[in-house]
Amino acid sequence: MPAFEYRQAQEIRDVFAKHRIRYLFLGKSGAILLGFPDTTQDADIYVEKTATNCRALVSALRGLGFDLSDAQAAEIERGKDFVQLKNGPFDLDLVFAPDGIEQFADAWRRHIEVEGFPVCHIDDIIASKAATNRQKDRESLPRLRSFRQYWLRQRKK
Amino acid sequence: MKSADLIPKDWLEEFEAAARRPLETRFRYSFIRTYKPVLDDAPFRAFDTMEDYRRWCEANLPDWLGYARV
Repeated sequence: MPAFEYRQAQEIRDVFAKHRIRYLFLGKSGAILLGFPDTTQDADIYVEKTATNCRALVSALRGLGFDLSDAQAAEIERGKDFVQLKNGPFDLDLVFAPDGIEQFADAWRRHIEVEGFPVCHIDDIIASKAATNRQKDRESLPRLRSFRQYWLRQRKK
Repeated sequence: MKSADLIPKDWLEEFEAAARRPLETRFRYSFIRTYKPVLDDAPFRAFDTMEDYRRWCEANLPDWLGYARV
């Protein structure tokens, strides 16, 4: 599987828009969209957990080329908290209840649009990473917090 | 400015350099691919709760991947 590419992010953006899916880029992939220079392997998508949204998500994923069985589709539609997809043209993590963010609506109110990509605010990205308390996230937090300061200053200009 | 607000010089230079790059270039520099044992060995996994996912990571993934909670 090659690395996730910009054109694939565009495909997510365009297909999800067509299916009217409410979602946000989260995690390091979200931070990269905001301008954070670092490396990552996966794209993390925070999806609003409603029946309509999850049904549309299954259609969109199949449209993108993910090979979902009916049982797998049913699991997504039922609203799991976390789904890891490696059965499509790129790897994708679907997060329905990220640590550190109370509700999708809160994150949506704060979200940022970057070239049409809906992205969690840097504060939510940091909050979710801090709440996981994993080694790999703890290591990235000092640099992310510095980036937050830089990013907020740039937005004020 | 508080000392906690100071951005290390090398990081600041990297942030400024990244800001000058188009998004497509930032993607090319940022997304990499390496094999992650166990994690990459199934085409689909779903977890009822984030807690289930965290526990699964801690029980099944090698420590060096960094997915265990501290």
